[in-house]
Amino acid sequence: MVFSSITFLFYFLPITLAIYYIVPKKCKNLVLLIASFIFYFFGEPTYVILMAFSIAITYIFGILIDKYKKYRKLFLIIAISISLGLLVYFKYANFIIQNINLWLKNQIDFIYVALPIGISFYTFQMLSYLVDVYRGDVKVQKNILKLATYVSLFPQLIAGPIVRYKSIEDQLENRTHTMQKFALGVRRFIIGLSKKVLIANCLGELANTFLASKEMSILYYWLYGISAMLQIYFDFSGYSDMAIGLGKMFGFEFLENFNYPYIAKSITDFWRRWHISLSSWFRDYVYIPLGGNRTTKIKWLRNIMIVWLLTGLWHGAAWNFIIWGLYFGILLIIEKLFLGKFLEKMPKIFSHIYVLILVMISFIIFNGKNTVQIMQNIGGLVGIGGIPLITPESLYYLKSYITIIIVGIVASTPLIKNIVSSKKFEKITNTLEPIFLISLLIICTSYIVDGSFNPFLYFRF
Amino acid sequence: MKEKTKNKVVVFTFILILFAILIANIAKKDEEISMTERRKLTQFPKITFEKIVNGKTSEELDNYTVDQFIFRDTFRSIKSFWSNYIYRQKDNNGLFLKDGKIYKIEYPLKEANIKKSAEKIKNIYDKYLNQDMKIYYSLIPDKNNYLESDHLKINAQDVQDILQNTLPQMKYIDITKDLKLEDYYNTDLHWKQENLKEVVSTLEKEMKLKDTSNINYDIEDLGDFYGAYYGQLGMQVIPDRIKILTNKTIQNLIVYNFETSKNEKVYNIEKMKKSSDKYDVFLSGATALIQINNPNGPEGKELLLFRDSFGSSLAPLLIENYQKITLIDLRYISSSILNQYVKFEKQDVLFLYNTLILNQNVLK
Repeated sequence: MVFSSITFLFYFLPITLAIYYIVPKKCKNLVLLIASFIFYFFGEPTYVILMAFSIAITYIFGILIDKYKKYRKLFLIIAISISLGLLVYFKYANFIIQNINLWLKNQIDFIYVALPIGISFYTFQMLSYLVDVYRGDVKVQKNILKLATYVSLFPQLIAGPIVRYKSIEDQLENRTHTMQKFALGVRRFIIGLSKKVLIANCLGELANTFLASKEMSILYYWLYGISAMLQIYFDFSGYSDMAIGLGKMFGFEFLENFNYPYIAKSITDFWRRWHISLSSWFRDYVYIPLGGNRTTKIKWLRNIMIVWLLTGLWHGAAWNFIIWGLYFGILLIIEKLFLGKFLEKMPKIFSHIYVLILVMISFIIFNGKNTVQIMQNIGGLVGIGGIPLITPESLYYLKSYITIIIVGIVASTPLIKNIVSSKKFEKITNTLEPIFLISLLIICTSYIVDGSFNPFLYFRF
Repeated sequence: MKEKTKNKVVVFTFILILFAILIANIAKKDEEISMTERRKLTQFPKITFEKIVNGKTSEELDNYTVDQFIFRDTFRSIKSFWSNYIYRQKDNNGLFLKDGKIYKIEYPLKEANIKKSAEKIKNIYDKYLNQDMKIYYSLIPDKNNYLESDHLKINAQDVQDILQNTLPQMKYIDITKDLKLEDYYNTDLHWKQENLKEVVSTLEKEMKLKDTSNINYDIEDLGDFYGAYYGQLGMQVIPDRIKILTNKTIQNLIVYNFETSKNEKVYNIEKMKKSSDKYDVFLSGATALIQINNPNGPEGKELLLFRDSFGSSLAPLLIENYQKITLIDLRYISSSILNQYVKFEKQDVLFLYNTLILNQNVLK
């Protein structure tokens, strides 16, 4: 089930909220657990068993790691192997076979398996829990229902953020429900829904129109690059906003996942602001254990490249994701070695342009189906292939989508947030906010009811 | 408003909307068809174990909840309004409104499709037609062709060029100059029957038929007409009026429908009243094979009209020159079995298609 659907918004959510707030406090986690399993079952009827199995494994090995200190490393390795083994099998097996087959005479048959939605997210959550128990950073959870509630919690189950057990350990036991928190949750949820439905989906339509077109021009390549870049940001951050908002409605406080990444002044800064829960996960569970930067220069650079290779792979089982990860790895190394200092001294405008262009190219790689398409879409930005500057089609779509692009650009900056949170306008914004939010909810509903373009981008994560 | 009050307003309104819509959707009786969108709406799915397991039930439930959503048309109008006036998008789901007229974008020109359509016409020519026949073809431009704007559109001249290259053995009749924007309905893709005088004159002249421009018709106004584009766009637009041209000859015509094996009238008012598409008044709407018999028409004169829905309103205006007009719609009947129903002798033959049909390659 996706948040931007009628089934979720006007059936699942009100019913779950009603039951959740009616039942006594001790039953609330159980309600969330059942709701989360129904939520997952709706989209992945068979793989709900896989998730339950993964939870059981995590629960059992958590207890074993905690109880048998002497063998805790062994148990951790077994638990990680099982979790990662499932992830590799379901997500990467065919990719591995495909690449092995390039070298073999006798081809290995592909396996018929679909990628379970959200497996990358919940596997990483379970791994963080197991490692934290191993390290003694968190207490082992002896109540399987609570652990299952943590892993399957529907607001963040299929598209993150990757919530660490550490950050909601106490909230699973004891959390507050206040009018203010709920109102903030509603606000965050509606804003996230609007980002997804009113910006990301509309720009996704433009990106798809470009991909289907044969009438190329430099303008069209730029339109595609910009719209793809805005689409993925508003889709992903919109989903995180909805997750954080829903979390608040059910009393949870999830950590932020995005912090205006497109105002970053360097790629290093960009990755501090983009998908924060994933980059901090890799930092804490891969980069630092490998030695981080407290090692020789060569090993340090190796560590960076390993992390970014894995980051790329995490996003999908295809070469473009690997290239995408390594691209960022190389850029980060260049910045760390010499460019970073230079960027700091540069006028802000240049560092912003530098980030935006490199990030746009990264998302062209991210969206690319093959190397030829990626090279075409990057080369097209500078007119490689003798294409015209403008065609009637590209001009038409520029005119048709310019307002949405401007809305997207403005909404990528903290400008609106700064105005809204200014004390000067407090009275006006307080009065207008409910009208604004409800209007957005109605407009989003109208887009969903119209059956407009509503892709689910997370199936490959 | 104070922070606390604001929070209460936000929460209560949100909850109220969620529950009001939930209850309304449960209480609302499911509708079978959408008159505005002219399509069947998804009904509550049959739930089976197999469909649950393979995820089909979830998909069907998603479609069902969207299709049966309370005030669906109103919500679609809101979306259309937002897209048109706030986002200033040039089109909404491929449709746009300009000066009270609704247009649909058909773009780009699919050369391969037009060639395939032309090949199908050529196949009929090779298989069934003979040298005793007078064979013509013509092209009805989409109404976008007459709109001065920067909207994407297919140039009718380009389609014509492809057809003329593929069909050199047939005579092309150019009617594009006989049409203007006003000759098409505001809310529909079709042309208005009452505006076809010049088209008829050109066809008569080029096909060497008797000039019927002096024949008088009574114009009968059948009321408001909300065309196909009206429902698809989902915006408030002044409806058209649907009018029919009639006279004694037309009233005496006998229309035989091969599908129903029944005689019908040229203008099927009864069907129009029941149908969501009032354009069905012309020869009862979409039909694979239909024959108009004119008992007082010139003896032995017969026309085979290969056509789409535009032909339904035109055919009655050509009947003065014929005893019989057979209308063949290749979207609904395969050309390979035509000789089972039509005897190809020495009739006049006219292939008359709209650019949209050719660009979509839907001829069988």
